[in-house]
Amino acid sequence: MLETTVPEGPVIRIFRAMKLPVGDNFAMAGLIIYVIFALTAIFAPVLAPYEPTEILYTVDYDLASDLLPGQEGHILGTTSLGRDIFSQIVFGARAALLVGLTAAFMVAFIGTIVGLISGYYGGWVDTILMRLADVAFGIPFLPFVIVISAFLEPSIWNTVIAMALVLWRDTARVIRSQVLTLRSRGYVEAARVSGSSDFKIILRHIAPNIVPLSLLYGSIAIGWAILTEASISFLGFGDPNSISWGFMLQDAFASQALSRQAYHWFIPPGLAIIFVVSAGFFISRGYENLLFPKLGR
Amino acid sequence: MSQPLLSVKNLSIVYEVPNLDVVAVSRASFDVPRGSIVGLVGESGCGKTTMARAFTRIISDNAKITEGSMDFDGKDLAKISEREMNDLRWRDIAFVPQSAMNSLDPVYRVEYQMHEVLRGRGGMSRSQAKARAAELFEMVGIEANRLRDFPHQFSGGMRQRVAIALALALNPKLIVADEPVTALDVIVQRQILDQMRALQRDLGISIIMVTHDISVVAYICDRTVVMYAGEVVEDCETATLLSKPLHPYTMGLKNAFPDIASAGTGILTPISGAPPDLARPPAGCRFAARCPFALDHCRSVSPTLMSFGDDHSVACHRAHEAEALRAQAALPETWGEIL
Amino acid sequence: MSTLKPVLSRTFQLILVLWAVVTILFLMFRLMPGNPLAAYIDPTFTLEQQEALIRQFGLDESLLRQYFTYLGNLLQGELGYSFRYRTPVAERIWLLLPNTLILTFSSLIVAYIFGILAGAWLAWRRASRAEAFALPIVLATRAMPEFWLGMVLLAIFSFSLGIFPAGGTRSAGTEYESLWSLYTSADFLSHLALPMLTLAIYSQGLPLLLMRSNMLDVMKEDFVTMAKVKGLSPYTIVIKHGARNALLPVMTSFAISVGYQLQGNVVVESVFSWPGLGRELVSAVSASDYPLAQGAFLMIAVVVILMNLIADLLYTFLDPRISHA
Repeated sequence: MLETTVPEGPVIRIFRAMKLPVGDNFAMAGLIIYVIFALTAIFAPVLAPYEPTEILYTVDYDLASDLLPGQEGHILGTTSLGRDIFSQIVFGARAALLVGLTAAFMVAFIGTIVGLISGYYGGWVDTILMRLADVAFGIPFLPFVIVISAFLEPSIWNTVIAMALVLWRDTARVIRSQVLTLRSRGYVEAARVSGSSDFKIILRHIAPNIVPLSLLYGSIAIGWAILTEASISFLGFGDPNSISWGFMLQDAFASQALSRQAYHWFIPPGLAIIFVVSAGFFISRGYENLLFPKLGR
Repeated sequence: MSQPLLSVKNLSIVYEVPNLDVVAVSRASFDVPRGSIVGLVGESGCGKTTMARAFTRIISDNAKITEGSMDFDGKDLAKISEREMNDLRWRDIAFVPQSAMNSLDPVYRVEYQMHEVLRGRGGMSRSQAKARAAELFEMVGIEANRLRDFPHQFSGGMRQRVAIALALALNPKLIVADEPVTALDVIVQRQILDQMRALQRDLGISIIMVTHDISVVAYICDRTVVMYAGEVVEDCETATLLSKPLHPYTMGLKNAFPDIASAGTGILTPISGAPPDLARPPAGCRFAARCPFALDHCRSVSPTLMSFGDDHSVACHRAHEAEALRAQAALPETWGEIL
Repeated sequence: MSTLKPVLSRTFQLILVLWAVVTILFLMFRLMPGNPLAAYIDPTFTLEQQEALIRQFGLDESLLRQYFTYLGNLLQGELGYSFRYRTPVAERIWLLLPNTLILTFSSLIVAYIFGILAGAWLAWRRASRAEAFALPIVLATRAMPEFWLGMVLLAIFSFSLGIFPAGGTRSAGTEYESLWSLYTSADFLSHLALPMLTLAIYSQGLPLLLMRSNMLDVMKEDFVTMAKVKGLSPYTIVIKHGARNALLPVMTSFAISVGYQLQGNVVVESVFSWPGLGRELVSAVSASDYPLAQGAFLMIAVVVILMNLIADLLYTFLDPRISHA
């Protein structure tokens, strides 16, 4: 009720046109976190005082290892190898953003295409694709990603591909059932009878109605992807060339940070993950309220 | 005449929507004599269901009884404590809902739901409840072995009988039936109404029959209360209502429904237009905008419910001309010209 | 009787899925970069051992023949030899499976009991301050990396406070007569506490949110209103009618959660050095012990698929509308 009295700027209007969930408090909080997160990733070199992998020394030329927050000007202290934790957190946002967005894009893209084809054409195409989805539901997700990441060259891309190979299933099923209901609607039927090409019907009548759903599942996948990448890195199967929050946690765990109670080392990466992933959940919640108002509350 | 079982006086019920009050029932008054079936008839949204639910005081969270009284057997249902009210529920005032399907819990056998009432509210032992449940099923014409079935295993008509059996469980004085036969086909409707009539006579209870269907009222009710836009507009014996209606809305309703006893005769003429928005009710008579006989006076001054002749109340400025109006109202073209 | 048919067709469908997963597993380990023999044969095996394995798994034959040999062996429970332990993979897996199942089920039972109660409570307190406070926290627990939560609990309760042991299933030097006496010992349970708590905190969100939204829906149903009109006690209305109906989908989700949990176990078992299937999978993959990795993966997949089936069947049996159709 309130937002109608607030003058709408062009940004809000564009969001509205994209059916982004403006007005929902949860979703707005999520969007704000995402903006901060994206800016951090983009301006990481400016924000971070040090290179994330740089081994630092104190003024006395000792290794700057295991410094506590605030010591020697290190905001969050240093690792036992003398690396600046704050800088690692800042650069970790880059890895998370990269993994989150690419995985979400792939999951939403594959899932939408499969769901569209399956729902629109039906018949044996549908049967085969949906049996494939059943199989994907039978594959244990994390073990699969571990095995693929370990067998192929450990890299962010391989992790993302492994995730997409399994996670498309949820999106595909939802999109398919949505397409099925759309297909039975009058205007789609009318377009078919009047001889419009399938491509045209899908593009004109069906796609616009399922894009919000794809975005919803994409925003959920961002969180999953970041969590999964963290797990993979923590287990030591991650990209050795990128500083991610999961890598930081693995570093801390392997360096006995727990028994030495170096909370300043392993708490911040975890909090960073929670913030970004719950932002995805908040946005998807807002979306659901928007798409399925009945489910809300 | 003895004291009526239920006497409703100036009852108002308001739904509190943010920034808006919707008066669903507005200063309604009528009596339910002992041992009679009283029909509460009107279009959907006229407040009849809200009022029916108010007799059990289970109304929406945002609904409030703002004024008036409901004297039931010497107790004012609007005033008594929640504890006293809960004592009356089902023991004295039972309810037959419109859809027995949704009002029976799908995960329990009917027997369980019967025992819940008989033992939980009637204080019976397990064996007493078992015997009573079988007896109740017999009363409504269902074999006792079907007690072991789940609600979804009954047909629509059977479920409605189950709901009636449930309502009779604790020998209530009053049964409020909210559109109990609306979802059924005409033949089953008639069977169930016959049964309700027979049970009502045998047991000497009173029934409030809430319905939008004047043919149901004609078939079973001793008295009829006609509601329009939250107000009682006419109240008299059913026979009088059908032969000598005083309110134009009642005349219109009569034209709009087939006769349940002899289905398919005569032309049906609906009343055109829609009831007013109860959040912003119009000045004057609420029916004026749809009334073929409305005068300027009707649109500015609200008529009150007044006694008109023997045991007959009506809220219409032109009630004294009713005889002439009835003749016009019988012609379909009278109802076609309204915007 | 009418319930038998959907059960059978569902079972058949899941057997097909299992077959497909087994096939994917075969291809994954056979088509990976490097020597295809590496899936079964470690260079340090003796020549006789190598030849016996080549014969058993038909490793010198065509891929298709190998595939059928592989399926045949699987049906007999034959999974090859672990490179590191020099023992049959199946033996190793049966040894570890109970640890994983104990961890999974104990944490889920705790999570579900808490989640169901808290969800029902939050439904009852809807639109309250408690809800505004609790919901974001619940969503945040779903956003936590499980292993990080494990690390935090480990640092606090084990390293800082010394209340619980840091890892494994038993203290060094303890011996038990039987597995049963191990699993019921105080020592084992204190080892179980932290990993169990970690997984329980992570898993309670799903039953909680499900229970809450189901309760909100069910309490709007006509039969709940009618229960009020009948004057039934608040306990009967909220618990026997409200919660009983809301519980149905939550119970079904339990089986699915078991499947998810098994996958999440992989990291949490690693944090707590819990000797289960997940940790074994990770260490086997790291050590290139392919037969063991393959076996652990397969076992996890079998449980996941089995749980999907149980979820379906549970629904069928718990809902009289389906079981008494």
